[in-house]
Amino acid sequence: MYEPRIVAFLCSWCSYTGADTAGIARMKSPANIRAVRVPCSGRVSPELVMRAFDQGADGVLVLGCHIGECHYDTGNHRAAKRFPILRSLMAFTGLEPERLRLDWVSASEGERFSRIADEFTGAVRALGPVHWRVSLDGRQVASRMLAVAREAIPYPETDCTAKTEVIRQKARELLANDQVSCVIGYEVSRRGRTRPVFVYTPEETERLVWNPDCTNNLTSYLPARLRPVKGKEPPKPVAVVVKPCDSKAINVMVAENLYRRDQVYALGVACDGIRDPDGCLQTRCVTCQEAVPIVCDTLISGTTSSFIPRLSSYAREEIAELQDATPAERLEFWLGQFDRCIRCYACRQACPMCNCPVCLYERDDSTFIGLGISLNEKRTFHLGRAYHLAGRCVGCNECERACPMDIPIGLLNQKLAEEIEAAFDYRAGLTVAPSPIVTVLSGEYKEG
Amino acid sequence: MNKNPMLPYLGNLVEVRDLAADIKLFRVELLNGGGEAFQTFQPGQFAFVSAFGLGEAPFGIANASGRGPAIDFAVARLGSVTTGLHELGKGDIVGVRGPLGNWFPMKKFKGKNLIVLGGGIGGAPLRPVIQHVLDHRFDYGHLTILWAARHPSLLVFTDEYDEWRAAPDTDLHLTVDTPDKKWDHNVGLITQLLEKVSPSPENIVTITCGPPIMIHFVTKLLQEKMGFAPKNNYVTLEARMHCGMGKCGRCNLGEKLICVDGPVFNMEEVGGLLETFL
Amino acid sequence: MSESNIDQKRWLISQSELEAWLDGIANARTLIAPRQVSGIMLYRSVEKSDEIAWYGQTSSSAQASFPVMSVKEIFFPPTERLFTIQKTGQEIRLEETFPDWETVVFGVRPCDARGVKLLDALFLDTNPIDSFYARRRRNTTLIGLACTEMRPTCFCTSVGGAPDNARDMDIMLYETDGGYIAEAVTEKGRFLIPGGEWKVTTITPQQTTFNKQFLVPEKREWPKHFNDAYWNKISERCLSCRACAYVCPTCRCFAIRDEMIRPGEFERIRCWDSCAGENYRRVAGGHQPRAEKSERLRNRFYCKFFYYSEQYGLGAASACTGCGRCIEVCPAGVDITEVLMDLEKPV
Repeated sequence: MYEPRIVAFLCSWCSYTGADTAGIARMKSPANIRAVRVPCSGRVSPELVMRAFDQGADGVLVLGCHIGECHYDTGNHRAAKRFPILRSLMAFTGLEPERLRLDWVSASEGERFSRIADEFTGAVRALGPVHWRVSLDGRQVASRMLAVAREAIPYPETDCTAKTEVIRQKARELLANDQVSCVIGYEVSRRGRTRPVFVYTPEETERLVWNPDCTNNLTSYLPARLRPVKGKEPPKPVAVVVKPCDSKAINVMVAENLYRRDQVYALGVACDGIRDPDGCLQTRCVTCQEAVPIVCDTLISGTTSSFIPRLSSYAREEIAELQDATPAERLEFWLGQFDRCIRCYACRQACPMCNCPVCLYERDDSTFIGLGISLNEKRTFHLGRAYHLAGRCVGCNECERACPMDIPIGLLNQKLAEEIEAAFDYRAGLTVAPSPIVTVLSGEYKEG
Repeated sequence: MNKNPMLPYLGNLVEVRDLAADIKLFRVELLNGGGEAFQTFQPGQFAFVSAFGLGEAPFGIANASGRGPAIDFAVARLGSVTTGLHELGKGDIVGVRGPLGNWFPMKKFKGKNLIVLGGGIGGAPLRPVIQHVLDHRFDYGHLTILWAARHPSLLVFTDEYDEWRAAPDTDLHLTVDTPDKKWDHNVGLITQLLEKVSPSPENIVTITCGPPIMIHFVTKLLQEKMGFAPKNNYVTLEARMHCGMGKCGRCNLGEKLICVDGPVFNMEEVGGLLETFL
Repeated sequence: MSESNIDQKRWLISQSELEAWLDGIANARTLIAPRQVSGIMLYRSVEKSDEIAWYGQTSSSAQASFPVMSVKEIFFPPTERLFTIQKTGQEIRLEETFPDWETVVFGVRPCDARGVKLLDALFLDTNPIDSFYARRRRNTTLIGLACTEMRPTCFCTSVGGAPDNARDMDIMLYETDGGYIAEAVTEKGRFLIPGGEWKVTTITPQQTTFNKQFLVPEKREWPKHFNDAYWNKISERCLSCRACAYVCPTCRCFAIRDEMIRPGEFERIRCWDSCAGENYRRVAGGHQPRAEKSERLRNRFYCKFFYYSEQYGLGAASACTGCGRCIEVCPAGVDITEVLMDLEKPV
């Protein structure tokens, strides 16, 4: 008969002792519970939870001190903020959030521990064993398509020559005055493809353009260029052409101490939207709410603007369709999408916020994820990345565009952005403030 | 089909002992046919050692086959595989894949004087050369061993120095960057020691192994200041490896693969490579 | 008659004959063909020929009829189990696992087939033979389909190939009025052909129009550019994302690691990796030989056009098949044809 395996993360100061108390008083607790002692419930990061599920847990229980009683003051606050977001991500992808529970148990509450352990084990038993841990062995996963077809809004004709001229002129000025070492903008390649370009001299500024295909988020190049290097002078400022969505990334990076605001000169373009290869407006533009860049040192606007916020919210219609589907349907959809993933990491590299020196999901010691390009790993990677972007993603959707397999990963980011806004009244990048579920430890970026 | 080259032989750990700070020596006796494969490995070759459940990593074989049948590996604890190996003890089973790579052309060195320069754990792949020379002493000319480490606690094979010193026509010079209270030998970089010893570039072959920066400066000193011809300077190089047999492409140094065209290289060929090993 | 036609005989088959034949193959073996998978085209197994994403005949856009991934993943899958490890106390038991099923791949393009031949040079023709690749290769038959046109990103003709070149296939098909012209290229291919049932024809396939060709620098030209500042310039936009290597028909770098299946049971797996990635050459102690993006991107180009050829005896040929997928897929606009043309320009 199936007996669920429950991993319980118990904090040293309260809940672990609470479990002990239960034991000493000979209160019965289910044998299903495998305890992992942590210093604080705030230590329990989502990647640990997902790893527990991936390695065989049918349920994960996280017990911390009551709010206000945390030994580290605010450690349990972190848990309190994180877990609802993680659970909503699990719900959105069909992963049964009922298998993850966060609760509070003090050192003397042996009976409470016993009751919670019992309740949770019963609940997980009723759900049956985890069925979204997939062992494929070559089997293909059926992939459900979404019914909602993205409205193909034809890209409006706009005259970009004025903007191109202003960008070139301003870039020339900045380089000639030695205000910046480099201007990061867009050019058109010989093949006719619009792509990033790095311009260092006033003469080279002739390469810069603005057109409806300026899709890349150029702020992705900033952290590596502006990173302080031990023993060397701080890098000179860099100018970067940014659209409204891109510009929000600058606020997030400054809030996270990746560089200082005065190291970036933002050539902010009042954008009419970006075109996708079919000639229609890109998805992110359909849901865009910002007409002008949030971070802007020089505003580059044209003579006319055809920007109209098209939808009242920035959430995509596909999210609504997935919300209305059953959990089983959501799971089938997402596993089908992840099945195609080849773990190339184009999504991660294209993202301005993914800038960890060594990605958690690329460590050599397989702490949080295996090496394999297999369905379990791919699911864990995408969910983990989406979680790590909660409250940090600015919605440029470059991750989705970069994906060679056309996986709609932007939906995960959008969904969590909605959750964060609902819970904390916060949207990433509108001001210099970090995500409400991220803790910034030091005031200064230190060279690693 | 032939034996799957990705499948390791099993090896029994007959001895595990501390060699230096965070460096252990593993002595492995091969099982299930491995003994045959490793009957005549050459000085300079390497093998992949598996900590089953974690993975495998390449290590220079640290003894001469004449001193077999067991094989020695010196393992510094740095990452997940080496940490896993450090947790093993006598009687545990590891995997061994090999012998891999090329080797020092000991036949070519006959009759010549030899200088062996080892930095830190880089001394381990040079020990088979030293052992081979000592075991065939009169085939080779004068042997000078320069052995270095950042600190005395990081010197390897300290209990064999007396054997080396005692061999005929053999000198051993030691140096550390930072001495401890008991240290009464040279203090300074191996390049400084080399200049002090000042060997003649006639009829001589040098063999260097250590961190890339050390190999760079030692060979630079030998060739630019001390008049040693590049073709007489040998080095053994390393890089991150996964297959060790020229398939996975990872360990390339320009157009050469360290696992099949090396790890032993002659400075004349390495100097001409597109990439440097730094 | 084409050099690659071992029978010196051609057959003319209709669409329905082709479908019936493929249905028969799918019954007896695993048939892999281009399929639409959530809006993109990939090589996947099909049970019936109506699951195949038919192109050429039905699609006028050559762009749409080219699977995003090459057939590389059939012979060298993204993840492959090498063996399992059972640990009981101090005892270790290893058990080899090998793929062993017969496969037929339909709809292979000449660039992808060339890619397979280039991987053969590495996995089969250079010792030691890779047991996994060898088994898959031995058990697989390639049915090629000539391209009716070249895409804007195609440049197979500049690297010694052609959109209708049959040399690396087992069977080759060419679209024509009324159906397809079929040729057997190898014994393995001929074995699959129901010779008696098919009508012999004397029609010759129409040659596909080539894109404008450009010169690719010879192998011996590459060393002198190694230290050019050019590599810094073109790599600035590179994101080190590795998508190019994964869609490439010939990129073959892999990593090996042990992973737990359940307590006491592990598997050693090998998985795709790429030299474009930041941590590709980082050693446990932290030393990073290719810390700069420019060094990594340069290595990728040099491997493709110089190192691989040297290491595996390709003579003058490079390891690039001109399929153009890397150009399509690069999020940052790195363009291999641009690099080749720039290097070919006089200094």
